[in-house]
This record gives sequence, structure tokens and C-alpha cells, in this order.
Amino acid sequence: MKVALTNLVKRFANSDRAAVNELNLVINEGELAVLLGPSGCGKTTTLRMIAGLEQPDSGRIAIAERDITDLAPKDRRVAMVFQNFSMYPTMNVYDNIAFPLHAVKMKRGEIDRTVREVAALVNIDHLLERSVRQVSGGEAQRVALARAMVRRPEVFLMDEPLSNLDAKLRAQLRTEIKRLHQDTGATFVFVTHDQEEAMTLGDKIIVMNKGDIQQVGSPHEVFFAPQNAFVASFVGTPSMNMFEGMVSADDTAGYRVLLPGFELTLPARFHNGLAKMTGNRVIWGIRPEAVRLVAAPGENTVGGEVELVEALGSRDLIFVRAAEQLFGVIVDAQASLAVGAPCHLHFPGAQMHLFAADSERSLQNNLPPSVPP
Amino acid sequence: MPDQPFSTRLYHLTQRQRHWFFIAPALIILLLVVIYPIIFSTGVSLFRVTFASQSRPFVGLQNFERMLGNDDFIQTALNTLYYVVFSVSGSFLLGFGVALLMRRVTAGKELLRLILIIPITMAPIVVGLMWNWMLDPLFGLVNWFLGLFGIPGQTMLAQASTARMTVVLVDIWQWYPLVFLIIEAGMATLPRAPFESARLEGVSSWMIFRRLTLPMLRPVILVALLLRTVDAFRTFDIVRVMTDGGPHLTTETLSLYLYRTAFTFSKLSRAAAGSILMLLFIGLVSALMFRYLYRDVEVG
Amino acid sequence: MRVPTSERILAYVILIVMAILVLVPVLAGSITAFKPQIIWVSSPPTWIFEPTLENFEFVFFTRKGWVYLRNSLIISGGSVAVALILGVPAAYAFARFRFRSSKALMQWLISLRMIPPIVVGLPFYAMFLYLERGLGIGLRDTFPGLIITYQTFLLPLVIWMMRGYFAELPAAMEESAMVEGYTRLGALWRVVLPVVFPGIVATAILNFIFAWNEFFLALILAGNRTSTLPMTAGTYIVRTRVEWGNLFAVNLIIMVPVIVLTIILRRQLVKGLTFGILE
Repeated sequence: MKVALTNLVKRFANSDRAAVNELNLVINEGELAVLLGPSGCGKTTTLRMIAGLEQPDSGRIAIAERDITDLAPKDRRVAMVFQNFSMYPTMNVYDNIAFPLHAVKMKRGEIDRTVREVAALVNIDHLLERSVRQVSGGEAQRVALARAMVRRPEVFLMDEPLSNLDAKLRAQLRTEIKRLHQDTGATFVFVTHDQEEAMTLGDKIIVMNKGDIQQVGSPHEVFFAPQNAFVASFVGTPSMNMFEGMVSADDTAGYRVLLPGFELTLPARFHNGLAKMTGNRVIWGIRPEAVRLVAAPGENTVGGEVELVEALGSRDLIFVRAAEQLFGVIVDAQASLAVGAPCHLHFPGAQMHLFAADSERSLQNNLPPSVPP
Repeated sequence: MPDQPFSTRLYHLTQRQRHWFFIAPALIILLLVVIYPIIFSTGVSLFRVTFASQSRPFVGLQNFERMLGNDDFIQTALNTLYYVVFSVSGSFLLGFGVALLMRRVTAGKELLRLILIIPITMAPIVVGLMWNWMLDPLFGLVNWFLGLFGIPGQTMLAQASTARMTVVLVDIWQWYPLVFLIIEAGMATLPRAPFESARLEGVSSWMIFRRLTLPMLRPVILVALLLRTVDAFRTFDIVRVMTDGGPHLTTETLSLYLYRTAFTFSKLSRAAAGSILMLLFIGLVSALMFRYLYRDVEVG
Repeated sequence: MRVPTSERILAYVILIVMAILVLVPVLAGSITAFKPQIIWVSSPPTWIFEPTLENFEFVFFTRKGWVYLRNSLIISGGSVAVALILGVPAAYAFARFRFRSSKALMQWLISLRMIPPIVVGLPFYAMFLYLERGLGIGLRDTFPGLIITYQTFLLPLVIWMMRGYFAELPAAMEESAMVEGYTRLGALWRVVLPVVFPGIVATAILNFIFAWNEFFLALILAGNRTSTLPMTAGTYIVRTRVEWGNLFAVNLIIMVPVIVLTIILRRQLVKGLTFGILE
């Protein structure tokens, strides 16, 4: 079911800044949308407003064109999975899953059938008689998933459901949620601060900061074409190398960016954006994965030496001191660079990012529109 | 939003004000049983009201003047202060000491604690009656015990010189376990790391106590002192059964005196004026302690 | 913590002496309840005797002790029940809802602990008197009258203790139930209350003890029909003569249930006694 949020505003009494500020968002039927952002960005508040657990100060919420803004949570036909709560401690697994069905006065036989069916779907059918004390954290979160599914809701809301689990379980359950989404075909809204989780799960990622949407797009779009400096710095680990500098026009009708200690030629795709920017401050950035190690100096290259090496497994993250700046660079572990080794860094123009320093907006041409219609 | 229908606005209103549905019943009862009496007492204290007479002339602050100019009232107020000072400090030192000692024992700790807290569970009136029996000059265990060492029988409760301290000692006997429980609970919540690192650095036990334990226990200590002060200030039951204020008002507390003023001598307005004075005083003292307490404890 | 042996022995000695100072009066007094009348006041005390229940029989039946026991049970039980019914929802609201006056109200509730009972007892006596004379509503010497009055010290404590128990639970617990098809009240009833039930029991026990031991307000507001056990204890003192055996029989009837309840409650005791200020 399509979820549409229109001009949603929420303020909390103890803060002068709106927790959610004039938010407009459409999540299409069957989509898995991820609300991504740092803590306090308004993502959880947005989710809770969809669930009806917070009342917006203004704005409307609709599911499948039905305005639900003023409905109680129980009447919204949504399900929610929480971060710090999974199982009702006074009930066993079976009664937990059956609990939402009692609310709709379902017949006993039908309840039993549904509970077993859903339990099998999330692989906890062998745990039905267990109590809270007899299940692990991961199993308890599966119970929460089962409880969410059992009413066949139109929309699943997930508030960082995996944050309290250890890394291995998190990966496992992430896959399962993805499969669940495919099997049910329902609309999912998933909240997380973990950008890796957002990347692997989401069909659509909504990056938020300070109550505002920063960018809506596919995982590829937010990673490769960040619309502003915030998205560029928040998405991706290790994070993007970013420096503030100044734009200058060169003799060949192109543009260069003057950075502290070095300067680079900017590729043609920035030219439109830079048309009236000469002399202005900009933020230039490049992802550590995009930086190339080259043998000799050349165009858009700086020389330096390795200062720190962090092993990531098949690859290394090295920090290179060049032009008095520190650059993070991802290299193949085979390269086995030692601390102190001299090297040259090349920045391919195709993978450079450039943002206006004041507005922090991207200066790249032909970006996709910031808010989809 | 003015453009919303009435039902929607009503819904939003009930959502925003929903806490009152939960709180209102308790609040109404509390206003009735606490605020009403205070207003009533204040009102009555401005008139001359007795249970016997129907006429109730307005007398302004006369009742307060009479109370403050009354030797008996001053005497009982000073007695009460005496109870507060000695009972609070005595029970505090003893309770704190026992809490410290309790950290040095292992086996039988639970049993010791259970025995030590028996007094706070007893009705004060039962405690008073029990100690009457213990202190009886003819057959009481205390005098029998003293007699074993050749000390003649004492009539501690009948003599003005000893009665007051005896009652205070019994009060301490009953309430030091409360201080002990609070301090012990407070110590249990202290983080271990600072103490371990101080010990590793070779800081002496006394310095650890002075510079770490005491400052970290400050809020706990304040709560213990606050509760004990408030309770000692209202002492009634024990005195009522042990000495009934005698001999010659030497053990009479404010509560007892005001009770007598109202119910034995039927001077309702005087008693009301006295109770308002009492409330103002304890309000002032506890507000000061409260301020001090809230500096480091976040409540609510 | 490593404790030197000498220090530990000293600690044991002092603590055992303190324990003896508790046990001797309590036990020596209590056995008087089982002594036949002729040795109630023997000196030196008689330690070996044939225990008898005649004192209990006397206070229970001849002096109508069972009526006072019943009164105490009705007043204590009733006032705890009322305090829970009023206090639990309020505690829930204080634990869960953010509203402007919540902090001030909670502090006000603690401040009620400071009010001397005389401040409450006196006006209540007068109010009951006027209600009776003026409107014919009899509250003096009735169970409802005492139960209402006892709310002055029970209700704030119930709210503070229960607020602590509610605050320990994640709000997501009832929010989950609300999304799953229940109203807030339904979620509270079916999910939250079963979980805090042990806390409700602890709160009830502690408040019961306070009501059970209460003397001052009962002295002012109770009468022949509603006398409580602590009030009757005083009736065994006559200026000239104290019926010690009977008195200690009453004392035991007051004391024993409370000690049993305290043993059940001991882990929660501090929280209750300090209003949970230290949480």
C-alpha cells in the first residue's frame, strides 16, 4: 500500500527545533523504504507518526489514499517492530504471536492455524511453548516479526529492529527481512542509523538530518550521486575525503579547484554548475575507493607518504599524508604498503564530488530531482 | 487548526491532555485530604473556634500571638528540637556505622540484616510499650541487668533529668536501621572503578572514605537525614505511651501538645495556629534540605 | 574487598551485640505473652515456665481482640486498595507521558511526606464533626472516613513506588500492543499490569505495613466501632496496673504479620522507605 506523508510537522515541547519539519514523502506500494540518518534526525519520529504513536502538529498521513492522520494506532492496519522491545514477558512464544489476533476476536482454531503458519515462516515453529527466558535475543526478535506479520498488515514499520543484536545475527535477520519483504509484497518502512544496513536492505533510501529530508534515492544514487555534502559525508564507510577550497577559471575555459596545498582540474560535468562560481568557496570530495595509487606524478595527482594502515580484510584502508592533508585510500591488501612508503595519489575526475560551501548543494549537472513526484 | 472538524479537534485535545484522565482521580483525593486540611487550619486559626461554643469571632493573628507567647508551646517546641537533633544525629551515626561494619562481614549477613531491621517494622506504639516494660523500675530487664552489677534500680522515665534522653534512645533504637538500610543501598550502587583505582594507587582507607565514599554518598546521606528529620519532628506515638509528655512537660513534643490543646482543652483555633506554625517550620527545613539534595539528584 | 581478620572479628562482635539489643527486648517481651498471670512481673524474670495461650484467649475473646483485628484488616486493606486504584493509573501517567507539570507534581508528592499528621488529623476531626452535625453525613468513627484520611500518606507513596516500576519497562511494550490492535487502556490491562504485578504486590505490602502500624490518625478519628489494634494496645495500661501478658499478646498480634511481610519484601524495602528518591 502506498504511504504518503504531506507537510508533516512535529515539535517537541523541550526543543526549539522541529523534530520533523515540513516533511513530504511518498513510499510506493511494495517498496522497502529505509529512513537513514544520525540520531535525532527525525527518522524515528516520522515512523512513530505513521504508526500513530506520535501525533503530528500539522500535515497529513495517508495509506492507500486513506487519510489515517487522526486514527488510533490500532485502526491503522500497520505493524511495528521495535528496537528495545521484542516479547511480552508474561506470555510464551505462542501467546505472543496469538496476541494481536485476540484483538480482532478471531476464532480459536483459526488463531492456532495462523500462529503456526507464521511461526514456520520465521523459523520459530519449534519454540512455540518457550518462555521469554528460554529464547535468545535473535529468536525473540523473530517473535516480534511473527507478531507483526500475523495480522497481515498493509505496512510494516521497523524501528531499528536489529540494533540490539550482535553482528552475525544482524546480518542473518537482515537477509530474512529482505526475503519476508519479497514474499509478502507488503510495503516496508525501515528506520536505521546504520548506512550499511540501509544499503543492503533498501529499495529506496531517505536520508534525513535535523528533521529534513536530505535526499531520496536508490542505494546507488545516494552513494554515487549525493545531492549535498551531508549525504556525501554520512553515506559510505570509510567516509569520503572532503576539503574546502575555491573555484578558479583556467585559460582553456575549464575550471580548477584550489585546495589547501594542492589544486585540481575539474571535469566538464561541473561546468554548468560552476558557471557563476569563480572565486566562490566549494567543498570538494572523493571516496577512498575512488582514489588511485599511481607510479608517477601527473594530472590531478599529489605525492605523499603512507602514515597509517588499517587492515579491512581483503583490502586495506591506508591514510596518506599528501600536501599536508590526510587522505583515506582503499587499496588491495596485496599492495602491502608499509608506513612511510612514498606514493602518488590520483583523483579521477569522473568520481569527484563538488558542493557549494554555503548551501552544501551538489554542483554536478543533471542530477535526479531531489524529491520524486 | 481552525479548519479541522470539531470531532478531530476534540480527539487532538484528548490526546494531548490524556495524562489528566490518569492523574485526576488521585489528584482530587490528594487535594481533598491534604490541601483542604491546610486551608481549613489556616482559616480556623484566624477565628476563635472551640468544639463547645457556637460563636466564632474573628480574631486575626491573635491565636498565633498567644501560641508564640505561650511558655508551654515554646517548651514543647524546644523539646521537639531536642528530639530532632539527638534522634537524627544518633540514628544517623549508628546507622552509618552499622552499614560500614556490614561491609566487613560475609557469613550470616542476610540473617543479621533481617534481625537489625525488625525495629522499623514495628508499630512505634508497640516499641514504646515494650520499652516501658524493659525499663520498669521493679521488674524491668534493664534494671535487673544493672542490678547484676550492683547498680540500684533507676526510674528513668519518671525523672525529668533522664526521661527525655531515654525516649530519644528508644527512638534511635527503632530508627537507626532505616539509616543503615538507606546507606547500605546507596553504597551498593556506587561504581567500583574509582575505588579499585584508588586502592591500586595506594590511597589510605581513611582518605578513600573521606574523598570518595562520603562525597559520592552525599545524595543518599541527604535522603536519610531528610526522612529522619521529618519523622523525628512529628514524634508522637512513642512519647504518648512512654511518658505522655511528663514529667512536667519535659518530654512533651509539639504533636502531643497540639493534640492535647485541641482534644483535651478543646482549643481548636490555638491548635490550628500551632499546627500551621509547625508546618511552616518543617516546610522551611525540608525545603532547604531538598534544595541541597536536588543539586545532585535528578528526580522525575 | 579484602578485610583483615581482626577487623572482621570486631565487626562481627559489634553487629552481634546490636542484634542482641534488638532481639532481647523483642523476644523477652514476646514470651511474656505466653506467661501465666502470676509471673508477668516476677523479678528476677522467670525464664522457664509452662507456656500458656490464656492471654491470647483473653485479649482475643474476652476483650474482643478479634473485632479490632478485623477493624485493622478492613482499614489497612481498604486504604491500600483505594490507594492502588487511584495511584497506579497516576503513576503510569507520570512514568509515560511528558507533560509540563509532571516534574513539579512529583516533587509536590514527595513534599507531602513532610506534613505532620496533626496538620491533617485536626481539620479532619472538625470536618467530620461538621458534616455529621450539619449534613447528617457520618464519617467519624467509620471505615470510609479512616480510609480516606489514610490516603494522605499512602497515595503519594504508591504513586512514587509504582512510577519507578513502570519507568523500568520500555514504552515500546504497550506501544507494540497498541499497534497490534489494542487501546492504551487495553494494552495497560493486558500487557503492562501483568508485568508490573510483582511491583504492585511489593507496593501493597509496604503500604499495608504503614497503615497497619498507624496510630495517630486512628486515635483522633476512630472510635468504638473502628478501633484498630494499635489503639487497643494502650487500653491494657491502667494508671495503677499494666496487664503485661495481655499487652504483649496484642503486641505479638500486631508485630508478627508485619515481620513476615517484611521478610517477603526485604529486597524492595529501601525503595519504599525512601520514596524511591534514590532510583
